[in-house]
Amino acid sequence: MTKLTVVFFASLKESLAIGQYQVVGDFPMSVKALKQMLASELENGDALLAAGIQSSVDYEFARDTDMISNTAKEVAFFPPVTGG
Amino acid sequence: MISVQEEDFNVAELYQALLVANKTGAVAMFVGLVREFSDLAPEDCAFELEHYPGMTEHNLQSIVDDAKSRWALQEVRVVHRVGRLSVNDQIVFVGVSSSHRAEAFQACDFIMDYLKSRAAFWKKETQGDHAQWVEANEKDSASLDRWS
Repeated sequence: MTKLTVVFFASLKESLAIGQYQVVGDFPMSVKALKQMLASELENGDALLAAGIQSSVDYEFARDTDMISNTAKEVAFFPPVTGG
Repeated sequence: MISVQEEDFNVAELYQALLVANKTGAVAMFVGLVREFSDLAPEDCAFELEHYPGMTEHNLQSIVDDAKSRWALQEVRVVHRVGRLSVNDQIVFVGVSSSHRAEAFQACDFIMDYLKSRAAFWKKETQGDHAQWVEANEKDSASLDRWS
């Protein structure tokens, strides 16, 4: 079992009412599988399944089909970015 | 050099930092500002800019590295502010120096395009007592197609 930190940002962080969450799971696991697991574990977790929610694994943008390895340290979920 | 900061930045100082003595033939710079975005008085409007410490800097460095691999650049400076910003405040600076103007113009444009869609920042608009997160503009991500 691997321990992983999951962080949330912007409107998603507000919807979930948490900024950080610790996961102990059986990795490798796809980003989509982690998202679905969190959606069922967290209050208002459906917000994670909203269209457009993006992710990153150890600071690299990721897709739902990407695998999170058992050496990954941090996964983030967030709405589309709006900088500049 | 990349900086994500709350403090304002000085364009004249950043311009000087882009110059390489006897080598620089062109400097292209972009400055993004907060413009009014409602009918309310400017003092009642503001942005709150959130970022993902660590990832944001990583994203910006990757974008700059990509630009350097595409064009012959001398110096690059990217500064992006976070925290509360008011109308007329400076938000972002991108500056590029090179021997010739084409590389400088293109690299500056490229960095801004990618910064808009591939760097972890989120804007929240405040209008009086009402606040809402800014939604991403599809044109921003579509404009990346120009560079593929």
